[in-house]
Amino acid sequence: MFAQQILNGLVVGSVYALFALGFTLVFGVQNILNLAHGALFMVGAFVGLYAVTLVDLPLVVALLLSILAAGCIGVLLDFFAFRPLRKRRGGEFPAIMSSIGANLILISIAQQISQAQVSGFPFGTFPIVIYNFLGLRITLQQIAILCCVMLFTTVLLLIIYRTSFGRQARAVAVNERTALLFGVNPSQVYALTFFIAGGLAGAAGFIIGLAFNSVHFLMGEPLLLRGFVVVILGGMGSVVGSLVAGLTLGIIQTMSVFYFSSQISDIIIFSLLFLILLIRPTGFFKGLRQDVRVGRN
Amino acid sequence: MRFFAIYQSLLDVLLINCCVAFSQYVVLRAGVFSLATSGIVSIGAYTGAVLTMRYGLPAWAGLLAGTAFGALVSIILSLPLARLRGAFQAIATISFMQIVVSVTLYAESITSGALGIHNIPKLVSTGTLVVVVAALIWLLSSINASSIGRAFDAIREDETVAVALGISIVKYHTIAFALSGAIAGLAGALLAYNTRAIDPEQFGFGLLVIALATVVLGGRVSVWGPVVGATLLTLLPELIRPLADQRLIVYGALLMIVIIYLPEGIVDTLKARWSRKSAPPQISAG
Repeated sequence: MFAQQILNGLVVGSVYALFALGFTLVFGVQNILNLAHGALFMVGAFVGLYAVTLVDLPLVVALLLSILAAGCIGVLLDFFAFRPLRKRRGGEFPAIMSSIGANLILISIAQQISQAQVSGFPFGTFPIVIYNFLGLRITLQQIAILCCVMLFTTVLLLIIYRTSFGRQARAVAVNERTALLFGVNPSQVYALTFFIAGGLAGAAGFIIGLAFNSVHFLMGEPLLLRGFVVVILGGMGSVVGSLVAGLTLGIIQTMSVFYFSSQISDIIIFSLLFLILLIRPTGFFKGLRQDVRVGRN
Repeated sequence: MRFFAIYQSLLDVLLINCCVAFSQYVVLRAGVFSLATSGIVSIGAYTGAVLTMRYGLPAWAGLLAGTAFGALVSIILSLPLARLRGAFQAIATISFMQIVVSVTLYAESITSGALGIHNIPKLVSTGTLVVVVAALIWLLSSINASSIGRAFDAIREDETVAVALGISIVKYHTIAFALSGAIAGLAGALLAYNTRAIDPEQFGFGLLVIALATVVLGGRVSVWGPVVGATLLTLLPELIRPLADQRLIVYGALLMIVIIYLPEGIVDTLKARWSRKSAPPQISAG
């Protein structure tokens, strides 16, 4: 039973990691705490849901659509909520306020479109196949989730460390002005970062919506709060950190829900967050910036 | 008199929103990005409600206990927060708020969990609320005029400069936290005695956003900022009825527009403009 809970925790945790990757990317590159990231997650879930239920598209196409849609909303977010502030160099506070405003707007629109109802995917959207492996029960869906997350993370790591855009993004993360001197266009980097972050959130939204078979307009909020825990534990701006922290959080949460209750689980998780902020506010892994200083590639 | 009766409940909401906004205003004024207000309002509300419902204490005792408990929790909270800045303070205090919501949901024997506490006797009338808000305005404006207010201003504008001027950041942050916590606790107890029903979820993200939006809209320096902000945010949806259905979109859009185009808030911007007009023309070099 213990091993089974760890497995379930890993699956949930991998989705938390996927969600937090975009969150930490935006913070690492732009130093923006984007409180509307939960709304992007929710957008992804809704687009996926409508693509499957209304248009009857295959799951893979629906997943790609939710990534695309949430990514585009991410770019719009950057354009309307953060770009005007960047021109003024307002600092952290205005950006957080602006993202709260954007979050309210997105949530409210989703509330009206969905008429505040909790919707689910039709039965059998994802084939229910259960494998028994060393006494563990694992469903095809869980395997698919793990594969998806691994794929997205690998792609993200490749983008950040092996492409020109990745180098530009890391340069902007270190110093925007210096990057500008080297011919990097920061606005373009910011927009693309937001597209990637939104896309990852959208993918996480679609996967969570499908796995728990529940899509509603407030679903982003609890995930945003868990995203905080992941990025603090993993270090703001660290891709590997997010992955490890996400998996850890998933296991802790599944265990505490299983052995205690969901309220106790929340208390444990957020007390843990507090504790980490006290001991080591920069997290346990290096962010994008330190990476650049340490290694060259 | 009939007009007053119709709008009395709206006025109550407005006055309580003012108190909550004052709590948020104090920390922001001192340059602390704490979002703990809604968590402490919850603590104050539950303190007041439990004391009255279980132990039959009168309203003044509940209000006093809510205030004291709020201040105490806030001071304790300020100890770990002293090490953090900016976004990290925001994250820490949001998680504090979430802990409060979870604890109030979990401790059913005291708080009756998700059901909340109902049928609290209505011990706080509109009159009391008016007196409290007036007293808070007086208190905060006299603090603003004192050395504490000037220290807050210096810290908010530039911490490094403030330290160089010999201002103890930790001391003034603790003062700001204590004051903010006391006001939030008081606001919570007032809310419990005035609306007569409280539940844990009521003090989550929603309240936090309203408190922040109020202060950002009104202004973070002048004491009239939160008052103007609360008045606008409470009355706008009532005055323009179609807006009421789109309340959240209006709040969100207002928040974005104000922070982008009017970053100092309404009152502070107007004040700055007015004082510039009345000031003698400045002689510029060259």
